[in-house]
Amino acid sequence: MATSNSLTLSSATFAKLSPHPFLLANLQPSDPSTPSSRTNGRQPRQARPYSVNNSSLSHAHGSAVVRSGDTTVICGVRGETLLTSQIPNYRAPQADNIAIGDELRDYDLLVPNVELATGCAPNFLPGVPPTTLAQTLSTRLFSLLHSSKFLTAEDLRIYHDGAGTQGEGDTEEEGFGETTREVKAYWVLYIDVLFVSFDGNPFDVAWAAIIAALRDTKLPHAYWDVDRELVLCKRPTEKEPRPLSMRGLPVACTAAVFTARERQKKGSGQYWILVDPDRLEESLCNETVTMVVDNTEGETKVLTISKSGGTVVGPALMREFANVAATRWNEFRSALQ
Amino acid sequence: MADRRRINGPVGQTNPPIYDTPQEKRIAKRPGDNAVRKIFLKTGVTPSASGSAYLEIDDPFAIRPSGTNLKLTCTVHGPRALPRSAPFSPHIILSTHVKYAPFATRQRRGYLRDSSERDLGVHLETALRGAIIADRWPKSGVDIIVTIIEGDQNRDSPDYDRDEGWDMMNVLSGCITVASAAIADAGIDCVDTVAGGVAALAAQDEKSQPSIVLDPDVASYHKIFAACCVAYLPTRDEVTNVWFKGQLPGADAMLYNKMVERSLVACRNANRVLIQSLSETINPGQNVS
Repeated sequence: MATSNSLTLSSATFAKLSPHPFLLANLQPSDPSTPSSRTNGRQPRQARPYSVNNSSLSHAHGSAVVRSGDTTVICGVRGETLLTSQIPNYRAPQADNIAIGDELRDYDLLVPNVELATGCAPNFLPGVPPTTLAQTLSTRLFSLLHSSKFLTAEDLRIYHDGAGTQGEGDTEEEGFGETTREVKAYWVLYIDVLFVSFDGNPFDVAWAAIIAALRDTKLPHAYWDVDRELVLCKRPTEKEPRPLSMRGLPVACTAAVFTARERQKKGSGQYWILVDPDRLEESLCNETVTMVVDNTEGETKVLTISKSGGTVVGPALMREFANVAATRWNEFRSALQ
Repeated sequence: MADRRRINGPVGQTNPPIYDTPQEKRIAKRPGDNAVRKIFLKTGVTPSASGSAYLEIDDPFAIRPSGTNLKLTCTVHGPRALPRSAPFSPHIILSTHVKYAPFATRQRRGYLRDSSERDLGVHLETALRGAIIADRWPKSGVDIIVTIIEGDQNRDSPDYDRDEGWDMMNVLSGCITVASAAIADAGIDCVDTVAGGVAALAAQDEKSQPSIVLDPDVASYHKIFAACCVAYLPTRDEVTNVWFKGQLPGADAMLYNKMVERSLVACRNANRVLIQSLSETINPGQNVS
């Protein structure tokens, strides 16, 4: 710190001029009586609480606004119908329901997209193609949606009961007997994630918003109209729209590893694990760990681990981090209720 | 070629749900032709931007508690230095972006800006340019970004297909008000706070005579003949932008003037909300009424 009176910097100026020493000074205070904390006042393992608000959009079938600190995300889920005749290489699912492949993935029934260019932070301005971050986020969310098997294809199938529509006389369907239940169309879920405000940790909050929005999603009852060769839906007033069935509750938890630079002799080799990093911390940390866990059945199940950028986190730390993720899971579940 | 930087979904064409029975007509009773819907305005929703604001217009006939009609967020970034390659400019350069969220309207919107969004952007720019004291920031630029989270279209509107774009008027007036709040939040010097307002010539049902209404909720009218969106500086009594659309019957020459005057009333109303929200930002906790 500057000691002379002619050059005294406020902490905000110090943070802007030299962010790395600023964060280091906060985590490693020179005076041992002051507790070590991050620049945002949190403890290293302390995450920002989630707040969730459901069904605030009227045009989407399901929506959620999730806030975690200063990161605010809106997610809207919209269902549209896709005829099986429009799907190239379509193969009807077998009657015994043994998966011939992953329908959700094969027919591209989930379409998550992240929009960052809303001016949610100074470096995300519209008028340019999606940034690398927006593209990687979309792709990571897409693969997590599929790999977590959170949704089932059964919910998105629109069936046509051939036997039920037999009129007078002998139609061709007579020969098939009672097992003429065929899939005529699918629901395609467009999952759009919009960042209103961005302050670090985009993946966790975007995923939380997707989960909350999908839990809120109710698709109208759809059926195949033979005469018009169309998929028609029943009004919600006539038949209650049904919610999607979901498998478990995967929650993502991200931490960044902050290391003291080797140049500074005082604390070289020291590192801190900062759970739920904000924008300043993200810009200073190279190594990040993301773990997606599901605690629904009592024990922590790890769905995804991704780690990049450094060598600090080893197997032991990873195990420890799973416990942090488990507490984060509990936080999110209580925020959902 | 499809957009490679986004996830595009299936190759085949997808259709929004088609319902088998038409929506029953809503019986919308307006409190009166002069009634304006309630506006909620809050600044500082995006802390990392220089200025930001959020605006919501309440739907008086909402079935669900959350069924509001219009939701907008605006962020302002700047003033900041123009890139070195840009030519010299003696005043601030405004760039406005208006974008609908994909889930904002009945039809899903794409991610690329379409012509109506560009149109809104141009109108917004002219409305704001008159209010900002541009000479105070030579060689600098400011970005004003409005995201429409929910457009002013009612999901329960009976005429699903007939979309004549009247709701764009309300969207524009909301954009002007919210952008003005965000600019004030960013601390950019203005001569006054601009506010937007809409008046329309509309008929309640088939038989009734068209009358001029304020802040038309498109879904509750049988037909709208013309609409007018004005951006107005109340303390200076100046209009920075007028957008008029539709046809007026030729018999009454004063009708146009009347419509502009009525929309000024709507502007003053919006401005009152704007001023109150800004003074609440300055003195938090103190309830200014």
